[in-house]
Amino acid sequence: MKMNNTDQWLYTSQNESRGYIQPQSLDELWFHTGTNCNLRCPFCLEGSKPGDNRIEFLTLTESQKFIDEALLLGVKKFSFTGGEPFVNPEFISILTAALAHRPCLVLTNATEPLMNQMGAILPLLKQPNPLSFRVSLDHPDPIKHDESRGKGNFRKALDTLGRLYQAGFGVSIARHMLPGEDSAAVDQAYAPYFETAGVPADLTIIKFPEFHLPGSLPQVTEITEGCMTRYLSAERRAAFMCNFSKMIVKINGQCGVYACTLVDDVAAYDLGDTLHKAMQQRVMLGHHRCYSCFAGGASCSEGVEKK
Amino acid sequence: MKTLTVHKVIFRTDELFELQLERETIQFEPGSCLALFNDDESRPYSIASGTGEDKLRFLLRQVVDGTVSQWLALRKPGDKVQVSAPFGWFRPGAAIGSRSVFIATGTGIAPFLSYFRSHSLAPPECCLYGVRRCVEAFNLEELQRVKNFSLALSQEQTDDHFYGRVTGLLEQIPLADDIHYYLCGLDAMIAETSVWLENHGVAYTQIHREIFFYEDEQH
Repeated sequence: MKMNNTDQWLYTSQNESRGYIQPQSLDELWFHTGTNCNLRCPFCLEGSKPGDNRIEFLTLTESQKFIDEALLLGVKKFSFTGGEPFVNPEFISILTAALAHRPCLVLTNATEPLMNQMGAILPLLKQPNPLSFRVSLDHPDPIKHDESRGKGNFRKALDTLGRLYQAGFGVSIARHMLPGEDSAAVDQAYAPYFETAGVPADLTIIKFPEFHLPGSLPQVTEITEGCMTRYLSAERRAAFMCNFSKMIVKINGQCGVYACTLVDDVAAYDLGDTLHKAMQQRVMLGHHRCYSCFAGGASCSEGVEKK
Repeated sequence: MKTLTVHKVIFRTDELFELQLERETIQFEPGSCLALFNDDESRPYSIASGTGEDKLRFLLRQVVDGTVSQWLALRKPGDKVQVSAPFGWFRPGAAIGSRSVFIATGTGIAPFLSYFRSHSLAPPECCLYGVRRCVEAFNLEELQRVKNFSLALSQEQTDDHFYGRVTGLLEQIPLADDIHYYLCGLDAMIAETSVWLENHGVAYTQIHREIFFYEDEQH
């Protein structure tokens, strides 16, 4: 896929009308804080690593503009992902600005960048809106987690998860989903670790399938317009993230509004420089990661409470 | 991404060396890292220079199978090295007006050297530095001018320095609510020291960590 309004954008390789989502509302606005990360995970769907700037650090000034516009559009929640958000030098300020208006969710690896700023994070409990953290614990086996994330990082992330919860923040975890897994059994395998950390046994666990590295082109089934009505209910279509959320991404010094959290490696999903413009555009489901949402209902969102 | 010129490579031992790059317009603060690139990969390294110097100094250890560190060790004056913009999440002494204690092992002294070279008039309460043998201690003469500096040698007995791991010196550090504790270097040291500090009443929010290498990489 190359450019909006080309045949590749509008039609599948079999020349059928490509499936799409016409956004209905902006319930959740995501911010990509930058692909700079303290870790170097080989599976990272963003290709994040130390010093990386494929997606650049957002500043407070840039973020504030979109926070203000999103409020006018009725946004109910702000969420943040990276990279590791706490590597961004302005992240605490950005988070503070967002918490002044709406509940916030931060995706984090919960290692040194967050640990070292706990003194600045704890006062955020006094903000007018709640703050939640989703901590990456890829596998319920610490050895498997550490194979990719570095030695000792399961223990650190678990310890930080517990400290955040004890302090009064909302917490959840994200994990990898393996083909053919017994999901309930995998979830259950976290129980002893949750107990150790002092977090609830029924903690929310968000599962992610294999998304592949940015720029990769795995062969997946193409989604046609017919597929969207033949196989999906209206409720399932409404649950696509691109229906109710957008993500702010800074590339080459310019902020753009992307269709969702998973497609920032394809420029066609930059829907414009304002949320207003972006919300008016159909999102064509041509990215290989769109198939994950179509087939499995994968979503980075944890839902939005009505305010 | 910028391309910088190698000024000098100075070996301390067969595996430890200081890489100096021309600074050009790079702005940084103590604790800042740059990712240094060879042809295929990059690794982050902490700047050891003071903020007023015209060279960027890095303290490196050639890691077994470490393609970036081995490539950097072979650079000659005038060679080019690609670097990222500065970044970092470990800022020794950044809590304005507060007191600090620095504890480092190996090349983990780099961010503290950067601090000493940038803020010589605001020294920490004490600085503990652990290496295996005296020859591995970077810039020892300079460090010995720092107030309450102690060197621990884990594999060499001398008349001048503590014999044992740096954690054996923890009893001598001051403990107070207003002190920030900055730990940099070996993972095992950081884990042990963090637990020790919390067990001695230091708040979690006063402890700052930066892992440079893992115990099983010590070959």
